[in-house]
Formats: sequence, C-alpha cells, structure tokens
Amino acid sequence: MAYRLGLIFSTTGSYAALGRSALAGALGAIEQTRRAGGIGIEPVIRDPGGDPALYEAQTAELLDAGVRNIIGAITSWSRKDMIPVLERKGGLLWYPCPYEGFECNDHVVYLGAAPNHHVVPAIDWIAAQGMSRAYLVGSNYVWGWETLRLARERLQAHGIEVAGERFVPLGSTEHGHVIDEIRAACPDCVVNSLIGPSSVSFVRGLGARDPGRRGRPGHLVSFNQTEADLDELGPYADGLLSAGGFFAEDASPELRAVARTHAPNGRVSAFLATAHAAVELFAAAVARAGTDTPHAVFRATCDAPVATALGDIRIDPVMRHAALAPRLALAGEGRFHVIDRAAAPVAADPYLSHQTVPHIDRPPALRIVT
Amino acid sequence: MTGIPEHNFAGRCALVLHRSEDAIRRVVERCERLGVHATGRLRELDATDVEAAHVVIFDIDSGHDAALPWTPGDAPVPSIGLVGSESPGRLGWALGQNVDAFLPLSALGNLFSALVIAHATFARRSAMARERAEIARQRAGRLDVIRAVIALMADGGDEALALKQLRTMAMIGQTTLEDAARALLSERTGRREEGR
Repeated sequence: MAYRLGLIFSTTGSYAALGRSALAGALGAIEQTRRAGGIGIEPVIRDPGGDPALYEAQTAELLDAGVRNIIGAITSWSRKDMIPVLERKGGLLWYPCPYEGFECNDHVVYLGAAPNHHVVPAIDWIAAQGMSRAYLVGSNYVWGWETLRLARERLQAHGIEVAGERFVPLGSTEHGHVIDEIRAACPDCVVNSLIGPSSVSFVRGLGARDPGRRGRPGHLVSFNQTEADLDELGPYADGLLSAGGFFAEDASPELRAVARTHAPNGRVSAFLATAHAAVELFAAAVARAGTDTPHAVFRATCDAPVATALGDIRIDPVMRHAALAPRLALAGEGRFHVIDRAAAPVAADPYLSHQTVPHIDRPPALRIVT
Repeated sequence: MTGIPEHNFAGRCALVLHRSEDAIRRVVERCERLGVHATGRLRELDATDVEAAHVVIFDIDSGHDAALPWTPGDAPVPSIGLVGSESPGRLGWALGQNVDAFLPLSALGNLFSALVIAHATFARRSAMARERAEIARQRAGRLDVIRAVIALMADGGDEALALKQLRTMAMIGQTTLEDAARALLSERTGRREEGR
C-alpha cells in the first residue's frame, strides 16, 4: 500500500529555483525510502507557478482527493493562504523553508529555520565584527516586514545604527533609488530580505554600481540565501553572509547523489535537504503510527528524533517546530563556506521569547566634534 | 513610534483557572514555550495569587464572579477568556468581566496573539479609566474654580484676568487648576478668620 503525499512547489514562476530544489529533495527521499524498504509513498505533485491564489486551490484539490499530508509552500504568503484550507479539511502541511516566526498552527509542522536560527545569529555576528551602520531592504510582504523588524531591533540593541530601511514591491526589480541611498549612506552591511528576482537583480545591481563593497565578508546579509539560486547572483555574492539550518558543505554523499539525480542545477541546498528530511520524518511517523491521519502522524513524529538529511531531528510537540543547529556561512566562488556551526540542535523560538542580547565588546563609537 | 505592541512576555507569571486539568496543562505548556511561568487553579483564584500574577487566563464556560477576587469587570491585570461553548450567556458574562482578549480552547496556538491583545487592551482600558477619573476630579472642582475666580476678581480685574492669575498659580505650584483654586480659597478663608 502506498501513502499519498502532496508536493506543492512552484517549479515555474519567479522563485522556481527554490521550488525545484525542494521538489528534488522530496522526490529523492521518496525514492530512498522505497529502496530502503520503508513505506510506499505516492507523490502527488502540483505546481502553482508562483501564483499565490493557486496554492489555496491546489491544497483544497489534493485534500478533497484524499491526500492528508502535504510538503510544500515556499513563501510565507503561500503558507498563510494554505492554512485556512488545511484547517477546514483536516490536512497537515510539512513546511520546509526558513520563515519569519510568530506562527504556530495546529496544521503545520515547521521544519525550516526560525528567527532564532537565522536573524539572531547573523545580527550577532555583524555586531561581533565591529560593524556600526547597517541598511535594510526587503520585499514588501510578511517575510520582509518581520525579518527586517527583528533585524532592526537586534541591531539597535547592539548599538548599531540603521542607516535606512526600504521595502520593494514583491517581484519588482526597480530598486535604483535603494542603491542610490546605499551608496550615499555607505553602511558597513546591507541586510537583504528581498526574494526571487528582486533579490537577484538587487544583489547584481548593487555589486555593479558599488564595486568597493564586493568580497568584503558580511557586506551583504541574508536570512534565506541558499545554494538553490546562488549561481544567479554570480560573483556579486562573494562575501555574502547567510544564516540557516543547513548548507551544502554539510551534505552526506547520499544527499549529494539526490541533488545530482533530481535537482536541475545538481546542487544541494537547505530547501533540498529540508524537503528531503520532511519526507523522512513523514515516512518514519507513518511507519510508527500505521496510518497517515494527520493527528496520529504528528504525535508519532514527536515521539522520538528521526535521523534525516539534516541530522537527527526532533519536533517540539507543543510549538510544532524542528530543533536545528544554526550555521553561518560566507559565499565565495559560487559556494557557501560555513564559518560557524552550533554544536547541537537549538529548539526553535518562533516568538523570540527566550532571547537575550549578549554582551559584545565594541570600541566606543566616539568622534571628534568641532 | 514603531507601532509595535508589547510582545515579549518572557519572565512574566500567569494564573490559569479552568475546571479541567487537561486544559490547564495545555495552556501552561503553551505559556512555558513563550517564556511565561504559568500555574493552574481548578476552582477559584486567590487575591494573593492574583497580586503576584501579570496576566490571568480563565475559563468562560464555568466562570462566575465569586471565583475571581476582584470587583466584576475590574481585573487588576490583563485577562484572557478561554472560549469553549460560545453560548451567548457565557460570552455575556465574560464581556461583563471586561475580558481583554478571547482565546478559543481549540486554537491555543494563538495564545501569543491573545497575550499581545490582552496587554494592549488592558493598557488602553487603564488609560481610559485614569482619564475618566481625571475628568471626574476636574468636574468635582468646577465650583471651587468659579469661587476662586470670583475671589480674585475682588482684587480688581475681570474674570479672564482672574482665571489667568489662577492658571499662573497652578503652574508655579506645579499643581492642577482645581487644587490651586482650593489652596487659594483655603488661604483666603484662613486669612479672614485670622482677621476677625
């Protein structure tokens, strides 16, 4: 008997690179599970093409057809559109992407990095480098708003000046005015929470018009940049600091093989690894529970850690998030090089209730006033 | 002005009143994940416990005024009502208690929102109560202000000048207009009595 598993990823449209990477991970894990003699999984694949309205419709279609578990959604917008349907029809979403936190829905398992896995360590690293001015730019929707709000609060707590903050319409590539401002303000780093084509064109535009920044470690900071679309940034990504729960450097040979076989760009990314882990968690939970009923599957997945492509993953039964070992990585020559890695998984803190601002020695910001 | 409401409750204490131990356990677990130390009560809340709490979370289905140690509608800390049956009578009782936020038991995942809303509503309610008390105080002092203005007019000048003088006295004394009026009247009464 094969259990049906919905895979809703945009493999076409503006952020297709991320969807293709995640889909590749899920398909690779389904194949591995079959080869290992695990439960049979029949993938039911849908491609919303990056159209927010289609996520809701396709989720409803799959749940009406008897699918009870779905891995998918890339953006928070799409996840938030899927949730009401999941609630009405009793489905469970395994969400494999980094997100901005402040959510804990009974129909979602959150597997990607939460803000204490990305914003907090990245901003603390910036502070530890002695940077004193930052500029924030993001896409004009919940990911941009919330990650930049959290970044701003933490930067200011560290005494770092926020030289500017701008939001660009989702998908827009018109950000010449933002680059003008950055060149005028000369911040030490630019925190980039743009997504998809906006991010790509911004990073390339900034690198071309402000070449002095290029290559300097941490001149650009991202909370969700992975290898899935790193190639699109070209050499302009050199020195970009990214934070997250996984980078390709930590991939097993098996995961690399999955990427070579299934990913169009042949590369491992956090999207690929997390979607792979989502299937592994689902398969282990269904095997334990003997059913794919969402409530039973979720209870079973919380019973014990599961060995996955991300390492041993434990899901908090109350907050429904995965504990991850946060990593910081710098981009260079088309790859991410991990520069800091938590020794053990850290429980997700989606509401940032347990964070304190650590004391970081900084030289006093004094200047001569005449 | 950031427009961001108070949203970090780590280190706070909550009191949870519910007839079901299971419901208490689920709410307490959620609170702990948000850094809020919660303790449960099955029958009623004690005034001493409430004094030490930063927020109270109570069952609407079986709640009654006698189980809550405050004048109905006047909880001393933010309050969250746990919605079970949604019967109009029970919701009416909760509204009468001026519950600051509602949280369906079937959606405990939204506890964070309920905490944010309860704290913001309580702060707004407290500010309005302070404002009402201030208006009542001003109203109660109207007659004294009129008497003080008349008394000052006896020194020469019209009512506008007398009111201006009274305002100046209040400003110098760093007090309200009504208190300045009372002080003036009391001083002049004392002087008259001394002069007899």
